[in-house]
Amino acid sequence: MAKLLSNRLYAQEHVKDKATALADGHGLSSSRAASKHWTGERVLSVVLLGMAPAAHLCPAPLLDYSIAAALTLHGHWGIGQVLTDYVHGDAKVKLAKASVLLLSTATYFGLCYFNYHDVGLCKAVAMLWQI
Amino acid sequence: MALLLRTVARQGLCSSRLQLAVLYRHAVPMGTTAKEEMDKFWNKNTRLNRPVSPHISIYQWSVPMMLSISHRGTGVALSSGISAFALAALVLPESYPHYLDLIHSMSFGPQFLAFSKFALAFPVAFHTFNGIRHLLWDLGKGFKIPEVYRSGYIVIALTVLTSIGLAAM
Repeated sequence: MAKLLSNRLYAQEHVKDKATALADGHGLSSSRAASKHWTGERVLSVVLLGMAPAAHLCPAPLLDYSIAAALTLHGHWGIGQVLTDYVHGDAKVKLAKASVLLLSTATYFGLCYFNYHDVGLCKAVAMLWQI
Repeated sequence: MALLLRTVARQGLCSSRLQLAVLYRHAVPMGTTAKEEMDKFWNKNTRLNRPVSPHISIYQWSVPMMLSISHRGTGVALSSGISAFALAALVLPESYPHYLDLIHSMSFGPQFLAFSKFALAFPVAFHTFNGIRHLLWDLGKGFKIPEVYRSGYIVIALTVLTSIGLAAM
């Protein structure tokens, strides 16, 4: 009985290592990554929320580029969630994710181009509203 | 104790090599991830060509359901709009003020312009307010059913008021 108990204590100490050893390569590390992604999505949402009044109150090139980045990434991650829900099968998922990445990259590039060569995002909305 | 004996007995029957793992085998996480399980589900069911059970066609629609899909719908629509704008900026020859002047020269009536501003502001306002509602859920607040409905109605009201306010500017 005492031997069984001491074995159990030994086992408990090593459960974590065993679990990590078994799960690393998929399970545990991908759960950690998914969790960080989730948190990142929420943090970005809050940051983007703050940019809206800022854009109205103090339009500036720095804000233009920040909004371009935050908006594009927020949209990219959002569409990513839609894909995860509706697209199934390794090949289809890979293709869909690659297409969205291409679109998001082009979108970000386009917005930066607009910020650099044209009036910029903050000013653009203000001008549109003055029509 | 009984569990221990059963686990050891199972080991013996399976005639696999005896490991110390038998003592905490039940404490080890599953061998497959959630993603792997989901992939297995979809692979099997698409392979067998099984039809999907009716769900949205038979389940009674509720306000929270409609708000949820609208959040996704406005999100996709707005994202598409931003992408379209960005691609247009890359492709179109003239500058932004040029195209604004073009719209201005079309001399649309004030009501049409106000309605257009409302139509632009509405999805942005809705997605923003419902987004805040989502963030509150992420903090763990407002999950009781009456609270879900109440926050939903507040989002609708704020959306309409904000859109009208912005259209009037």
